Amino acid sequence: MDERPEDRLVEEARRGGREAFAELVRRHERRVYGVVFRMAGNRSDADDLAQEVFLTAWKAIASFNRSASFYTWLYRIAVNKSLTFLKKRRREKDRTEFDENLSVAASARGLPSSPEGSSVLSELRGRMDEAIESLPAPFRASFVLVAGEGLSHADAARVLGCSENTVSWRMHKARKLLQARLKPFLGEVRS
Amino acid sequence: MRCGTAKKRLSDDLDGALAPERKDRLEAHLRSCPACRAYRDDLVLLQAGALYPADRSPECWAAFEKRLESKLAGEEPGRGAVGIPFSGRRRWAWAAAGGMALAAAGLWFALLRPGTAVTAAWVPDEDALIPLLQEAEADPELERDVDREIRASIEEMTPVLDADIIFLPAADPLFWESLSDDELRFIASELEKETGLGGPK
Repeated sequence: MDERPEDRLVEEARRGGREAFAELVRRHERRVYGVVFRMAGNRSDADDLAQEVFLTAWKAIASFNRSASFYTWLYRIAVNKSLTFLKKRRREKDRTEFDENLSVAASARGLPSSPEGSSVLSELRGRMDEAIESLPAPFRASFVLVAGEGLSHADAARVLGCSENTVSWRMHKARKLLQARLKPFLGEVRS
Repeated sequence: MRCGTAKKRLSDDLDGALAPERKDRLEAHLRSCPACRAYRDDLVLLQAGALYPADRSPECWAAFEKRLESKLAGEEPGRGAVGIPFSGRRRWAWAAAGGMALAAAGLWFALLRPGTAVTAAWVPDEDALIPLLQEAEADPELERDVDREIRASIEEMTPVLDADIIFLPAADPLFWESLSDDELRFIASELEKETGLGGPK
């Protein structure tokens, strides 16, 4: 495990240090992957998106403003890439009139689509991923960063370029939408 | 506390963003409101479903890093720009708001600006005008009003004349209205002789 502080790694990477950048990738790949996976909704697209995030970060690392955290900057790239991807996917979907019903989406994701043979938590996660996919993009981005990645409202606001109040409202609205959509299932789990 | 406020604060509380004094009031509300307690339980479950690591095997991560390394091999670090998410959407929102403000200002100037009295349209309908004129003959106040409206409407249609060629009777719009077609033709021919440009037709 490389013990060098992150600031030093970033500085070395800015000067073209590939090995320092590789270490930054190792430190942040799980978090970046978590964001793009929840935004995109499936693993194969998430893998490609995470690759693109780090490639973009490498190409732009000289413009990284060191007053912000490196992971905040990476998250911003991840959200941007995911939004571009979602737009493209929506356009393609409209063009081919592809009927993406939810059970097919769940199967493709490799998650159980029925309660049989699965734990309640994995069933909940599968349904959550589907429900998150139905959220409007600004709500989804806030929810993924705060509820999924554990960012504070202030950090999420820095990533998304908005105020903390906006993040707070988006979280409230996202939770209300998710709760309304999953209400019957949540009732079953609680009982 | 209303349930709507309580639900918003429950969300903030789950994110660790609720001030302690507000939390006390929220707890007090929850003790007396079963619906909000049920909502809180749902949110706790949602949180459990959302907060999980994107688990993959070490082999998967190794393959991921190797693939990335080969992509980076042909690239140099640079100063590419990283935009703010949703900034395009914001630009559209500002453009739409600006457009609406301009349209509102245009409407205000066209219809409601101060000093412009919005009056009922003058309808030069012969059937409507005759009874009005008959009524005006018996009512001096109405006669003055009708006279004022007629003069104003004629003035609106009269072309602006240069001050140096104006003469007193011609300044009265009713002067031209009272002339017969023969008289107008005579004036036109006389003006044409004098100026070579012709007169009012």
